Amino acid sequence: MRGLWAILVKDMAVELRARQVLPTMVVLGMLIVFILRLAAEPIATGAGLRVFGVAALWIAFLFSGLLAQERSFAVEQQNGCMDGLLLAPLDRGTIYLAKLLGNVIVLTIFEAVVVPIVSVSFHLEVAGRWPALALVLLLGNAAISSVGTLFSAAVQLTRTRGSLLSIVVLAILMPMMIPACFALLVLCGALPEEVVGASTFAFVGSFRTAVGYLLAFDAVFVVAGWLLFGLIIDD
Amino acid sequence: MREIATQGDESSMALSLRSIGKAFGTKPVLKNIDLVLPRGQAVCLFGINGAGKSTLLRIAAGLLRPDTGAVTLDKYDIRVHAEAAKRRLGMISHASMAYPELTVHENLTFAARLYGVPDRAGRIEELLADTELASFRHERAAILSRGLLQRLAIARALLHRPAVLLADEPFTGLDAGASERLAAVFDRFVREGGTLLMTTHDARMGLRCCQRVAVLDGGMLRLDATKTRIDTDLFVGDYLSYARSSR
Amino acid sequence: MRRLLFVLGCVLVLASAGIGGTEGQIVPVARNLLYVHVPTAISALLCFIVLLMASIGYLATGRPAWDQTARAAAEVGFVFAILLNATGMLFARAEWNVWWTPSPRLVTSALLWFLYAVYLILRVSLPGVPHRTARICAVFGILAFLDVPLVFVSARFLPDIHRPSFSLASHWQTATLLLAMLGTALLAGVWMWWRTSLLCARLARGVDRGALGVPPYES
Repeated sequence: MRGLWAILVKDMAVELRARQVLPTMVVLGMLIVFILRLAAEPIATGAGLRVFGVAALWIAFLFSGLLAQERSFAVEQQNGCMDGLLLAPLDRGTIYLAKLLGNVIVLTIFEAVVVPIVSVSFHLEVAGRWPALALVLLLGNAAISSVGTLFSAAVQLTRTRGSLLSIVVLAILMPMMIPACFALLVLCGALPEEVVGASTFAFVGSFRTAVGYLLAFDAVFVVAGWLLFGLIIDD
Repeated sequence: MREIATQGDESSMALSLRSIGKAFGTKPVLKNIDLVLPRGQAVCLFGINGAGKSTLLRIAAGLLRPDTGAVTLDKYDIRVHAEAAKRRLGMISHASMAYPELTVHENLTFAARLYGVPDRAGRIEELLADTELASFRHERAAILSRGLLQRLAIARALLHRPAVLLADEPFTGLDAGASERLAAVFDRFVREGGTLLMTTHDARMGLRCCQRVAVLDGGMLRLDATKTRIDTDLFVGDYLSYARSSR
Repeated sequence: MRRLLFVLGCVLVLASAGIGGTEGQIVPVARNLLYVHVPTAISALLCFIVLLMASIGYLATGRPAWDQTARAAAEVGFVFAILLNATGMLFARAEWNVWWTPSPRLVTSALLWFLYAVYLILRVSLPGVPHRTARICAVFGILAFLDVPLVFVSARFLPDIHRPSFSLASHWQTATLLLAMLGTALLAGVWMWWRTSLLCARLARGVDRGALGVPPYES
């Protein structure tokens, strides 16, 4: 606990000083939203625009999240700071949890900026279901961050670290995106509360089960990351 | 020349490296190294580039997993009882382990938090004074010179009052005056009961700081003797030939 | 011995595809494709299970042989995943007039391919000491596997575009399908075995140059 808090406070201080991650994330997120909005022009007056908005949200979260995760261990790469963390009397899982928490916080701030932008440009409305929206975004955020944080440490020594991290994380997160998209589509009214029959979303069924799936993914990824992180950074 | 390793009973040993072996891929770097340091002893490890000095220190610090053998600090195995062992360990490596975005003081505060140092503020002031960094306390690490960063690394390593200090080439980047002051810091550390394992190329400085020398050559310890048992002039001249001839 | 089993596997698969039943609502040619498609799916999953076991085995023991087994499983599984998706697409085009649609089972098949592909890329991209690469890949293998049950299990019990028209009406059809499954499983198994021993032999001789023939990055 002691180490977790220390690393988290340190990371936030570094980010406040360097201001490297959040501005980049926000600009990337806005670019993604902007470009998708351009492509969605033919359906700008129809209900299909909302579907585009959901896609824009998750794509922006995934890719901007990757920037934060890649950066979270890159700061430890300079001056051998990672050695400093490993020398300290800490459980390695604690280092993982501290970095994960940092990434979740950064991505949450990002979401707070990007969600209103998407909501305005894609006429995305949740009809008063803000708590449900916040819950889905937070659960998605935790899943994205947990996988990204785990593999961020692994790719630091590679020449292609950012791109390698992106394929690793996106491949693992692909199944998680099904309930994630489903939940947002239900919230903005593009899908009914329950889906039956032979559709992709028959996977998920209802909004409730979608949230259940997201919780299950979060639990599995966070616990696996906490347990396996030591193996990834060990030399 | 291996008599020291067997002296004393195991429990009084501050740091013991037992049959350490390590290979990178198919290339062996360390072959069955035994090195045992009693409390309050300073040992200097010599060796040419690539002899495995840094590898051995990284294994001793628990940063690298040995293929064979075990490292114990005060009976705590660094892999099994990692927390207890690491609490007793400080390390000065090639890298300063300082975050460039943070100031000297913030870097030390972070390290103190990681180790849960009691009376954080007081202890940091003490070390800032010892390493003559007090006037730089609010400077960011990014603008510090090599020598100042090295002093910051030293302060960081001693912050939690370790029982064992590992120092990998601590004199690189320091001018003559700073080297002398660092040697004084080491002297005091050892006098107060600390155990020091350092590496250096500078045979003169190594002999100045340590009571015992060891030479790594071809992945093995060629020489392991107290300073009084070797011909210091010959050793300073060419420690490698000296070690090879004294087998 | 291995060569013999390999040939036997090929013959079984081709024969079962050739003699598969021709009655039923499904277009005959496409139907015969199913005698390859279904068994490849099973083999691709089989490789995935081997990948998981080998990854766990490596993390538990640290033996390079486990790591090489995992790599072999990923390579073979990758090929089977390509076959699986390709035959699936041909069948979908012939039967449903679409090349691909995001139905649960098709998503699972695509996911399988993606995970194999990323695993193989990860293997060649990580520099430094081989055992670190092996450990990272094993962690990926385990995490990737945690993904699959969630998708696969739910897909298994849900209504899907995979409708039950492919019923095994006659014993003849059942026998043919079983034959084909046996054949592909044999193929996958022998191939993995073959590849593992080759990789281990290379490792022992110290000539492992990575998957793309690139010498390992000196750290």
